[in-house]
Amino acid sequence: MINKRVVRYVVIKILVYLITLFVAFSIVFFFLRLIPGDPVSRFIRLIEQRYSIQLAQVTQEIINEYKRKFGLEGDIATQYVSYLNRVFLEFDLGPSFLNFPNPVQDLIAWRLPWSIGLLGAATLISWAIGILAGTLVGWKRGSKIDSIMFTISLCMSQVPFYLLALFLVMFLAYIFTIFPPRWAFSPTVTPGLNLAFISSVIYHATLPSLSLILISSLGWLISTRAITITILGEDYLLFAQAKGLRKIRILSRYLLRNTLLPQTTGLAMSLGFIVNGFYLVEWIFSYPGVGTLLVQAINALDYNTVQGVILISIFTVLTANLIIDLIYPLIDPRVRGE
Amino acid sequence: MLSSLSKSTLTFKIGFFILLSLVTLAVLEPYINNYLLRGHSSTEIGLFPKLLPPSLEHPLGTDHFGRDIFSLQLTGLRYSLIIGLLAGGIATLIAVVIATTSGYLGGKVDSALNAMTNSVLVIPTLPILLAIAAYIRMDLLMMSFTLSIFSWPWPTRVIRAQILSLKERPYIDLAKVSGLNSVEIMFFEILPNLMPFIGVGFANAVIGAMIAETGLRLIGLGPGDIPSLGLLLFWSMGFGAIAQGYYQLVLAPAILLILIFISLNLVNIGLEDMFNPRLKRITGL
Repeated sequence: MINKRVVRYVVIKILVYLITLFVAFSIVFFFLRLIPGDPVSRFIRLIEQRYSIQLAQVTQEIINEYKRKFGLEGDIATQYVSYLNRVFLEFDLGPSFLNFPNPVQDLIAWRLPWSIGLLGAATLISWAIGILAGTLVGWKRGSKIDSIMFTISLCMSQVPFYLLALFLVMFLAYIFTIFPPRWAFSPTVTPGLNLAFISSVIYHATLPSLSLILISSLGWLISTRAITITILGEDYLLFAQAKGLRKIRILSRYLLRNTLLPQTTGLAMSLGFIVNGFYLVEWIFSYPGVGTLLVQAINALDYNTVQGVILISIFTVLTANLIIDLIYPLIDPRVRGE
Repeated sequence: MLSSLSKSTLTFKIGFFILLSLVTLAVLEPYINNYLLRGHSSTEIGLFPKLLPPSLEHPLGTDHFGRDIFSLQLTGLRYSLIIGLLAGGIATLIAVVIATTSGYLGGKVDSALNAMTNSVLVIPTLPILLAIAAYIRMDLLMMSFTLSIFSWPWPTRVIRAQILSLKERPYIDLAKVSGLNSVEIMFFEILPNLMPFIGVGFANAVIGAMIAETGLRLIGLGPGDIPSLGLLLFWSMGFGAIAQGYYQLVLAPAILLILIFISLNLVNIGLEDMFNPRLKRITGL
């Protein structure tokens, strides 16, 4: 089962993953250093505002202490080394301003499961729906259902998620009060592994995930339909039909399996784009995820948390990409070289 | 074949018609608002009584600052389109430079540039964009430039793929045999045939830039004196327009934005279908 080809494939994918991660983290470091002013003086100003006191005699000692804490000592090269050291070896993202002195990673750790849960479920559901529907309308191309679905998809597939989310909130949470407009679960249930809590979580997740599913699945429908129509023109499919195979078998074994492969790569390619749109959906619904935290941190000019969210987002997306890449040989025998 | 061609032109025509109407409205905005508001600016606070219901004089009513909502939408449309087209233009320029360099030099340079393009596509860039917009004061030009830094990968992919395919065509060999050098081939043989795809790339880049722009305005970032549709949404959300039942405050900018995205996408797909027969066969339109 495991042969040289697969090992080579896996090693290359992991190497590319590590290099991309390193380059991306370095780019983020230098990009954020472009920002004028330094975080420490901003932080001291923030404390002055928050407690309405004047820290007129902030000593150089205090400033130096904070600079050390924030990893801002020395010239840019020293800072870069200390940044890499903290992020990659100590997994330390520095203290947050929003919730000082708690470190950023604690702030993110509580929110990350909410984001990954909602985003992961919505992405997988829209992907599955889009591929199934796309294969079906491609199979029935030229029919009425095909032209209706295809036209709707052409129109709506580029509308950003957050605009649809605004419509959903307005119509399904305020005009018709069917779904809750905010937060992830009802305040009356006790969090834990009980039915009331789980159903409350699903109930609250419906609208945010719907905004992603409705639009994203239309995009998958368009690309799957195109792939299906190409496959329908292939000789092996004609042969399968000539052999008199049942339609359901042709659909599942010949069409669906062959559309699944390019669409798996497609999923990996579009994850970053999906995350971009998803963060604002979270904010619209005040969902307790990383996206809402990002907006809060930006409004509070919380430098460390903003940087932490950026790094975590990149790390999560690249890791999801790596996982998809590693699953790929399991579904594509050609990579295994059998 | 004939019917498929007319169908893809129909897609293009519908999209182009909607887009042209919106652009016309945006171009005429100063004159329309000058007439409607008798020389005042649409963002001027307290020009009318607050929160008037829709009437003949104010087709969409007035907002919580006493501004005419209809006039505000026209101004918002104008700025959204200006920023989108400007950012899309800069991004397309970057894309053409990168894609032609990549296609012209080929080999390792091409692989490196392609890897770079793909990683920018894969990485979630919106948080970085938000951070920059939060910390750096921006005017219209700076804003468009920043947006273009994050929207160039889409047109680059489209244009690069086309250059790679054009390079293999027989007439390029003919041009080489007839003694044209690489730069001449790039400018006289490849670039003219690339034009429709630069158009497709441009539409892609404008969509990308506008999604990002609206997103960051939605949470109140970017220049506060440039009221694009996203900023109008931010003002309405901050006021709690949905919860208080002033739906037109949210619906008007949202519908205009959706119309922009739909029309750009239709133009994009229509162009691609008309000029890429191979793709037309695949999509079977």
